[in-house]
Amino acid sequence: MTEDAINQNPNENPESQNKPEVSPPASPVGEKTPPIEAKEKVSRRSFLTSATLAWGAFAVATAGILTGAGRFFFPNVLFEPPQTFKAGYPDEYTIGEVSERWKEKFGVWIVREKGMIYALSTVCTHLGCTPNWLGNEKKFKCPCHGSGFRSTGINFEGPAPRPLERYRIVLADDGQIFVDKTKKYQHEKGQWSDSESFIAV
Amino acid sequence: MDAFKSIINSLSEPQIMFSFLVLVFFFIFPPSDKLYRIHKKLRLDLLWTNVGGVFIFTGLFVFFGLGVTDENFRLIVTKPDNVPIVGLLFLTIFFLWLSMKQGRDNDIRLAEGQKPNEYHDPEDKVLVWPDLVYIELIAIVLCSILLMVWSIYLKAPLEGPANLADSPNPSKAPWYFLGLQEMLVYFDPWLAGVVLPSFIVLGLMAIPYIDSNRKGQGYYTFNERKTEISLFLFGWLLLWVFLIFVGTFLRGPNWNFFGPFEEWSLSKVVPLTNINLSELVYVRWLKTGLPDNIFLREFFGISFVVGYYLILPPLLARTILKKFYSKMGIFAFSMFVILLLTSVTLPIKMYLRWTLNLKYIVAIPEFFFNI
Amino acid sequence: MADPKKKTMFQKIAESQFLKSIFRTGIPHTRRQRMMAVLNNVFLHLHPVRLPKHAVKVKYTWCMGGLSFFVFLVLTVTGILLMFYYRPTVEYAYGDIIDLAEQVPLGIMREIHRWGAHLMIITVWLHMFRVFMTGSYKPPREFNWVIGVLLLVLTMLLSFTGYLLPWDQLAIWAITVGSNMARATPFLGHEGPGAALLAIGDINLVHAASDVRFALLGGRFVGEATLLRFYVLHCIGFPFIIMIFMVVHFWRIRKDGGISGPT
Repeated sequence: MTEDAINQNPNENPESQNKPEVSPPASPVGEKTPPIEAKEKVSRRSFLTSATLAWGAFAVATAGILTGAGRFFFPNVLFEPPQTFKAGYPDEYTIGEVSERWKEKFGVWIVREKGMIYALSTVCTHLGCTPNWLGNEKKFKCPCHGSGFRSTGINFEGPAPRPLERYRIVLADDGQIFVDKTKKYQHEKGQWSDSESFIAV
Repeated sequence: MDAFKSIINSLSEPQIMFSFLVLVFFFIFPPSDKLYRIHKKLRLDLLWTNVGGVFIFTGLFVFFGLGVTDENFRLIVTKPDNVPIVGLLFLTIFFLWLSMKQGRDNDIRLAEGQKPNEYHDPEDKVLVWPDLVYIELIAIVLCSILLMVWSIYLKAPLEGPANLADSPNPSKAPWYFLGLQEMLVYFDPWLAGVVLPSFIVLGLMAIPYIDSNRKGQGYYTFNERKTEISLFLFGWLLLWVFLIFVGTFLRGPNWNFFGPFEEWSLSKVVPLTNINLSELVYVRWLKTGLPDNIFLREFFGISFVVGYYLILPPLLARTILKKFYSKMGIFAFSMFVILLLTSVTLPIKMYLRWTLNLKYIVAIPEFFFNI
Repeated sequence: MADPKKKTMFQKIAESQFLKSIFRTGIPHTRRQRMMAVLNNVFLHLHPVRLPKHAVKVKYTWCMGGLSFFVFLVLTVTGILLMFYYRPTVEYAYGDIIDLAEQVPLGIMREIHRWGAHLMIITVWLHMFRVFMTGSYKPPREFNWVIGVLLLVLTMLLSFTGYLLPWDQLAIWAITVGSNMARATPFLGHEGPGAALLAIGDINLVHAASDVRFALLGGRFVGEATLLRFYVLHCIGFPFIIMIFMVVHFWRIRKDGGISGPT
């Protein structure tokens, strides 16, 4: 394409010259419809419809892109430590004691009471600090805001709004305790009677 | 000396200190004409003179000077991350004094029919070069020196490597968020951590649209903007800066309260057995036991909250805040009242906690909905 | 100076072709030259040429807005320098922070950055306080006050995201406590009121791996992904946003009639 071509046809799309089979663009509507009033009425209505459509499409597309961008922050794969583990045999835990064996590694306390074993989450229900088990006072005490929980996980002092959560706990085929942190049981929802929220021993 | 320290320790209990500050506050920063007359009669405006300034700062320096001789006090105040807050204390009080002093001077001038001190002949201007650029240069140099000296003498704190299984006791947020962390003692996280901060930010943004007073622009004054200044300072000084001080200096292990001269002992036991409004009503007063139906159980709490936000605003518009309502129009007034009522919920919950050990007004942990 | 025709060394240098090509006005002596010195310089041009007298009084302005900007620049420079050594991974972060103090010459770079961050929050607060006490947010400056509040929030967010980077106990627990509040955001956090209502049948739409806290942390707890996210937000994300708002803030000061003053 030469510069002359541009000068001769300043309004035409330059590409159309390379492709002569493409029909020239339709002449503007105004040339076809002589009565100006009628033309205005029709074109205003059609203009409004097409403008609504265009803006609608624009809004949908923008919303789509923004949703996609928001979704960008939630990856499909998470590289986090495993959420399930085997915690040994029930006999390894003494009745009436809170075991801190898995606190560091998996964030779980195994509590054995008379007749049952359950796994408590070490995440304080107030703001997610890790409470400490005070053996002498028989309570979990959170250092951040002073919430206190009994060995059962029930909250009794401080700002924590609800008891500690239990994790799913079952006996595996080999007789070991199997803790699954992906499923939680909350006392205030009445889930602690669920058969997998504790092991009867 | 020890007796004096223990007096200070018990006086700085939040119950006592907060009540005292609230009481004194409205006489020092009177929001209405009536209180302003009392303020004048008590000669409290003399605080905002040179003599008053010397008085305030001598008091502060003597307190800190004697304070650092105490080991526990020194330990908190000189902790590297706490040093900026000690600076903030002095700076806030200094600039408060500076602005109030200029406001007082201007108020006197305005009462005599003169223009404020800041007024100069509009034709008589100064050039940015050299008048402003040199001031900027000096400010920059001084600021750099301050920063350098600070950095050389105080190491940035660095504790042991991160370990999610071991929460330090106490665990504190960065100091500028300690006001929020202190609110967490009285409110559930969704309120103290999300709703109230949003209200603070939106409320700050709304100030120019709520404030319909066109006087007092471009100069320091108190008399012409009593209500605005009083309310703003109440929020800024008492509900924000004061809470930061409490959260930083006076909250120790287990987030228990410790006086400025008290040792941060891990074994301090404070009974924290709190009850909800529903338990208070059904168990203690009516002695019937909690009903099973959630809405029946929380009926009193919910109606209290709904009443607070729906009945109180129109009531206020007809009574004490009548003047504001007619001046602001319904939209700005609603915004103003809702912000005002929301900021008052903090003292309300504080006092309910201190007097009745009340934890939640509405407690529906089933839906994480606790107020 | 007795002979006005005789030029000092300093004057000769100042009036050399090279310096004249940079600073067109030379050393400003006359009123006109002084005005041109401000007008011809892109940085000084943030200022107007002439100001009302009260505007240059420290008693009135406290210099706090300008100092906030200056401290921001200091933080940008020191921050860039720190980035040469710091690696935002759980494995290296803590060690790199120790090395920055012990193995790098001028080992107070981190101190300047940290204390500068504290200082900036204080100066921004005091700037807001001054603007309130002089009633400078009143029309026509309402919108600039709104921008200012946004800048205040961004300043605190910048400081908050930076707080995690040393990866020590102080950092991780401050962020854990701080970000756990996001867990309780109404509807958007999995422990917030209303979140349970957003469910299709038995499947909760808002759970620990799909709520607003997850987006912030990049995981269900503060970990490797969080460190990277906070690093990016701290070094690029928030500085980018705050600069945009700062440009608007400064521009609006001029457009809204310059510094406030009595009429």
